[in-house]
Amino acid sequence: MLKYTLKRLGSTVLVLFLASILVFFLTVHSGDPLADLRESNDPDAPFEMEQRIYHMQLDQPWYTRYWGWLQGVLGCFRLSCDFGTNREGQDLNPILMQAAEDSLRLVFIATIASIVLGILIGILTAIRQYSVFDYSVSFIVFLFFSLPTFWAAVLAKDYLAIYFNDWMQEGAEFSWGQLLLISGVMAVVVPLIAGGSAMRRLVTGAVVGLFSAGALWYFDSAQFALYPRVGALGVILLSFGLAVGLTALIAGLKNRQVLYTALTVAALSIVSYYATWNLLQDPPGGWFFLGALFVLTIVICVVIARTMGGYAKGQATSVAVLTGVLSSALILLDHFMYHWPNMMSLKPRPISTIGSHTRRFTEDDVTWWQVNLDLLTQLWIPTVILMLISLATYTRYTRSSMLEVARQDYIRTARAKGASERTVVLKHAFRNALIPLATIVAFDFAGLIGGTVVLERIFNWNGMGQLFVTALQQVDPAPVMGFMIITGFVAVLFNFFADILYAVLDPRIRV
Amino acid sequence: MSLMTILAEIDYEELLEDAEGQEFIFSWEPLIILGIALVIILVYLIASRLLRSKKELPPGEFHLEKAEFETDKALQFQDVKVTFATEFGTVDAVRGVSFDVGPGEVVAVVGESGSGKSVTSSTTMGLTAENASISGEVFLDGKNITQMMPGALRGLRGNEISMVFQEPMTALNPVLKVSDQLTEVFQIHGKAFGAEALAKSIELLRSVGIPDPENRIHEYPHQFSGGQRQRIVIALAVANNPKVIIADEPTTALDVTVQAEILDLMRRLKDESNTAILLITHNMGVVADMADRVVVMFQGEVVEQGPVKQILRSPQHPYTQRLLDAMPELRSETSAEEQTHIHAESAAYEDTEPEDGYALQGKDLALAYKFRGRSNRVVEGVNFAVKRGEILGLVGESGSGKSTIAKAVLGLLEVDDGELLIRGKNLPALPRQERRALRREIGVVFQDPAASLDPRFPIGDVITEPMVVHKVGTAKERAARAKELLDAVKLPTDVINRYPHELSGGQRQRISIARAMSLSPSILIADEPTSALDVSVQARVLEMFAELQQQFEFACLFVTHDLAVVDQLADQIMVLEKGRMVEYGRKDQILRAPQEDYTKRLLAAAPVPDPDLQAKRRQARRELLAAQGLSLD
Amino acid sequence: MSEQTPNTSQTEQDMADLAEVEDAKLQAKGVSLSQSQLVRRRFFAHKPAVISLILLAFLTVLAFSSIGYGIIPGWWDKTFTATGPVLNGGQPTMFQDGQILGEHPFGQTQMGQDFFAQAMYGMQQSLIIAFVVGIVSTMIGVVVGAAAGFFRGWIESLLMRATDMVIVVPLLVLAAILGQMVAGNVWALALVLGCVTWTGLARLVRAEILSLREKEYVSAAIAMGASPTRIILKHMLPNSVGVIIVNATFSIAAAILLESTLSFLGLGVQLPEVSLGSLVDYYQGASTTRPWLFWFPGLFIIAIALSVNFIGDGLRDAYDPRQKRVGDRRPGLLQAMGLRGINRRGKDRTQGAGEAPGQPGQATHVVSAAEPKSNPLRQWRKK
Repeated sequence: MLKYTLKRLGSTVLVLFLASILVFFLTVHSGDPLADLRESNDPDAPFEMEQRIYHMQLDQPWYTRYWGWLQGVLGCFRLSCDFGTNREGQDLNPILMQAAEDSLRLVFIATIASIVLGILIGILTAIRQYSVFDYSVSFIVFLFFSLPTFWAAVLAKDYLAIYFNDWMQEGAEFSWGQLLLISGVMAVVVPLIAGGSAMRRLVTGAVVGLFSAGALWYFDSAQFALYPRVGALGVILLSFGLAVGLTALIAGLKNRQVLYTALTVAALSIVSYYATWNLLQDPPGGWFFLGALFVLTIVICVVIARTMGGYAKGQATSVAVLTGVLSSALILLDHFMYHWPNMMSLKPRPISTIGSHTRRFTEDDVTWWQVNLDLLTQLWIPTVILMLISLATYTRYTRSSMLEVARQDYIRTARAKGASERTVVLKHAFRNALIPLATIVAFDFAGLIGGTVVLERIFNWNGMGQLFVTALQQVDPAPVMGFMIITGFVAVLFNFFADILYAVLDPRIRV
Repeated sequence: MSLMTILAEIDYEELLEDAEGQEFIFSWEPLIILGIALVIILVYLIASRLLRSKKELPPGEFHLEKAEFETDKALQFQDVKVTFATEFGTVDAVRGVSFDVGPGEVVAVVGESGSGKSVTSSTTMGLTAENASISGEVFLDGKNITQMMPGALRGLRGNEISMVFQEPMTALNPVLKVSDQLTEVFQIHGKAFGAEALAKSIELLRSVGIPDPENRIHEYPHQFSGGQRQRIVIALAVANNPKVIIADEPTTALDVTVQAEILDLMRRLKDESNTAILLITHNMGVVADMADRVVVMFQGEVVEQGPVKQILRSPQHPYTQRLLDAMPELRSETSAEEQTHIHAESAAYEDTEPEDGYALQGKDLALAYKFRGRSNRVVEGVNFAVKRGEILGLVGESGSGKSTIAKAVLGLLEVDDGELLIRGKNLPALPRQERRALRREIGVVFQDPAASLDPRFPIGDVITEPMVVHKVGTAKERAARAKELLDAVKLPTDVINRYPHELSGGQRQRISIARAMSLSPSILIADEPTSALDVSVQARVLEMFAELQQQFEFACLFVTHDLAVVDQLADQIMVLEKGRMVEYGRKDQILRAPQEDYTKRLLAAAPVPDPDLQAKRRQARRELLAAQGLSLD
Repeated sequence: MSEQTPNTSQTEQDMADLAEVEDAKLQAKGVSLSQSQLVRRRFFAHKPAVISLILLAFLTVLAFSSIGYGIIPGWWDKTFTATGPVLNGGQPTMFQDGQILGEHPFGQTQMGQDFFAQAMYGMQQSLIIAFVVGIVSTMIGVVVGAAAGFFRGWIESLLMRATDMVIVVPLLVLAAILGQMVAGNVWALALVLGCVTWTGLARLVRAEILSLREKEYVSAAIAMGASPTRIILKHMLPNSVGVIIVNATFSIAAAILLESTLSFLGLGVQLPEVSLGSLVDYYQGASTTRPWLFWFPGLFIIAIALSVNFIGDGLRDAYDPRQKRVGDRRPGLLQAMGLRGINRRGKDRTQGAGEAPGQPGQATHVVSAAEPKSNPLRQWRKK
């Protein structure tokens, strides 16, 4: 198995290499890099032409230029990459690194969010096949497949962002009309997902409607949008709620060992909330620190689960890890919320539709949280738009995979053993259904990169997509190649991990 | 005409400024945190290693206890009716079925496709499809299953009533270990947990005859053979000492020797635990081997039921009579005198080559599958010779290479070594044109009726395709020939314009035969042509086959795993095992006076539809295996 | 003593075994439908697909007939280049003040051009490109896929490498570079886009051919001496038509979106040609001031892509029908609460169960086919 994966890796790298030749050739022959200067009446034009010719080696044939570029890139193996210069002579290394940061962050978040949400919705629709929920989701999925990303992005930029900014500036309150509308929508939609008989749906709908109306009213009166907090009380309640809820969902409340494990994890997260509060006010090492804490959380959860889990170790681990991860997310959310008012004071219109971050935020009196909040506010709309197609793909794939698996004989065997539906779906069907998904992760990534090209244009980010388009229009091959190599490299990595994931999920390949 | 476009361009200056503004400050804290995580992992691993070495697996115990019944009927059906709502309208699968099964009794439900026997069985488990409507009542030891709440019914499944399915290759979850799947059935019903459940599962595996269960239990299903997987499924069924086991065609997908083993296993388990078994099958031999009583179903109704000897020896209902008549019979009980007589005959039989040569001949034939440069020999050293008008039966279990030989004769597989002579010409040595011309002489009938005919071709085109390929005759002549052939296979001639999906399996096989005969071939290759058909349909097809053979006198290579079928049709028989010829000779000699051990085992394992005779054969098989030094299970 | 159950049906007298039952059914059969006819029937039963087909046909006719194409004139009196006075801020006159279409149903641009004409012209270009790309990529994909599936060997490796290329170099990137090379020539653009979008279809065709190779009617054809050409053309391709047509349809939808995106970036259709995507690009700044300039092209793109997608879905269901839900299967209150057992309909159903629908033969035949495994996962909620 290892041999197979390594062979695949090797062939993909080879393809990357061949593709680079192709892309270089096509880019160089796609137009005239000196076109604008030829038509210009500027007295400096001839000099500039000389400059450009020098920087881009325009006097050389394309294969010499390619070879020069390749040598620079191969230096990466000696840890001294040289991506060349753009046509102005500026060094591309820092440019590419900086641009890549923005773009890759966007793509990663969009990928993870689409996978998680897509799988969840896919499973739900598969369980609820032929219901109203299923049909509506199918229709929405089709709509997303037919939606031009750029058009939706412009719409979001011009309407959603501005509307949101206005709303925040005017006190961030829901009017009565909006409150009733939102509660009404919730009261209709949630019962459709929950299903059941007409009577039961009515009851669910009424409860949900009243609850959301109450919540929104509280939201307004507490000015939650301006001064949000989860707070200690929130963290405590929600952590325990998560523990109980996840246990009920995955293992059933009767399973005491799993329940106690989950409650322990919840208790620990509450303790760590207090313990880490001051430390996290200014996290040393930023996201690396948070990442390390995340790893530590998972390790602790797994260890607790395996010691306390008794005979239900598998379920205990899933519940513990989920509880731990979600509680940590809550704590993180609380920290973000704590710093929100400060950020609002610096930036009263939270979503500026230009750029990936606010440039004045590099001054010293701005905390790490505010810098990141700024990033997030700029990030969320592009992420949502980028996710639309990806989400649709994963939902549809998961659904059809689950339905396919449900027809298999071993599901019938599991039922014949007397397993509960929950066990049948989660333990038997789910793992088998995930196997084919590993294959589309790699393809989806390429689609997302295409999406960032468009989105960066619209939201005016200085990202790699924007770099690519500009350089292409200027017929400047070096930045184009830089873009291609970086995205290609990440794609190869994704493909590699997808292959490994495939092997992990399917023992027939492994053993 | 365009409006001003915001020419969005990348701002290199801004980028560079940002890049300079960002400095990567290395800090130790994240590494400290990761270090702590690592330490925790190490501590845990060490601690668990230490603890585990102290704690040993408690010796597991698993024995089948006698199932306790509260009433005198383990399973009772009262006027059960099942209807399906499909897009074609409502379909009555089961129309009023009533019978019962007593404790420790084996009741066989016999029927062909569409009889409703499988639906009846899945009703007891509550596993019918969504669009089924069930009326009537089913009682499990006094408890009314049809009125039970789903939760309570789930508590019974795998506990008091369990099921063994037909297809062992797909019955187990491929991504879970066998240990996981076995302990699950204990844990669901609260009989044992954790390490105790694992110990019990190991013993359970041992009792169903899986060797080295301590290690094998941690493997995945794909690492077991088909017969072993069926044993695991049986293990799942008996784990909680059920009152009733429903076995839905448990041995249909298995080789005949494996089938005998599985049936022995089931009988042993039943005897030890007094479980009632509802056995669904279409194989009368299996019925004679296992059953105490028989229920015969046809088109959703019970047409006859009674003790097994009565049903098998003196059936009353015309359907049952027809069914039993249709079964091909394997006559392999021969006295010692008969055997010596047969020996003498075969010794005296001289196989003389006819004037126009053998139709089909193989000399030291060896076949291999080539995969990515590597060649894998699957058939070695096979010799045979078939005259016109003779049928050679290729018999063997799965993996024996019989289908491979058929494929080689058809030209679907290259010959690796040796000679394959068709009408005297060595096939591998021929140039392509001649080889193609030789194809006219060979007709083929395959196993799967669903895939044998191109669904887009009307029947007339299907039958005349060989003529089209070899450019024989005009369109009119072909049409006439098609009608002629349809008459020969006893199908109405207006079927010419129909499509394959409108025909049943048996009818499609007849079309396959018609297609094979269209160029009046001198050789016919039949690769398990009736294995996928119901008994009565099979009888029709075989009957027709024999008639055609009398009429056209082609030589035939008949591949099958069913010894009774081969007894009915063949003149010569070749027994294959793992690609090698075990025995080859005239039918009488092979079937009634076999020489080789393997052939004897094969014959001993095939069940016959007479209960007393079958009991004797079982005993004989046991002795044979003991004599050959092989264990029984 | 064996017992005989009294027979209520006529099965005993007429048919004594299964073979006779089957033969009788064959005699009784009515109209015989070929595969294509069956598919057509199923397609037209799929409502969203039929509606989409009508919508797509309407849009195509509208686009080409309104302002004419080439030398053929249309019924709309304005061209998309002529400027004029701006009336009423350029707002659309559709359904305003009692008129149905009015002077400028889609409004006017800042320079007074009629936007309906522009949108129609843009739609023409988009439709042409989408269909050409669909056809080109299908042709290449089928040839490569069929060759890879049937002959294996180096063609198959080539296809695998090409697929890897698509993973490594995003389609949009490659299309953008090629789009710039073509510099706005619509037909060249369509051709070039078709040459880069075939890999998905090729993979699917290859998979289909690989599975068809194992079918016994193909083995029978090989055994009877048919040439590879005949086998591919007569047996394999016709049986993969389903996969091909469905994916060709989806590729048309993808082509529309790809072309619009490219034109939006300025790398697809360029001036003086106009497509729906480039219209969105030009007028994106006006999305709040003159929203009609922005909304109409976008909605048309969505309408075309959505209807093509639904048609593809209908075709897929027509070629590969899964068990459909029949009748009202909604559980009653008691069932949902789990208070009733598997005897789902209780008293109501017993009447229905006793009747024999149609001929007895027909029922049997369908039973074996219709031992349906409809979605078992739904049992979660009920049980």
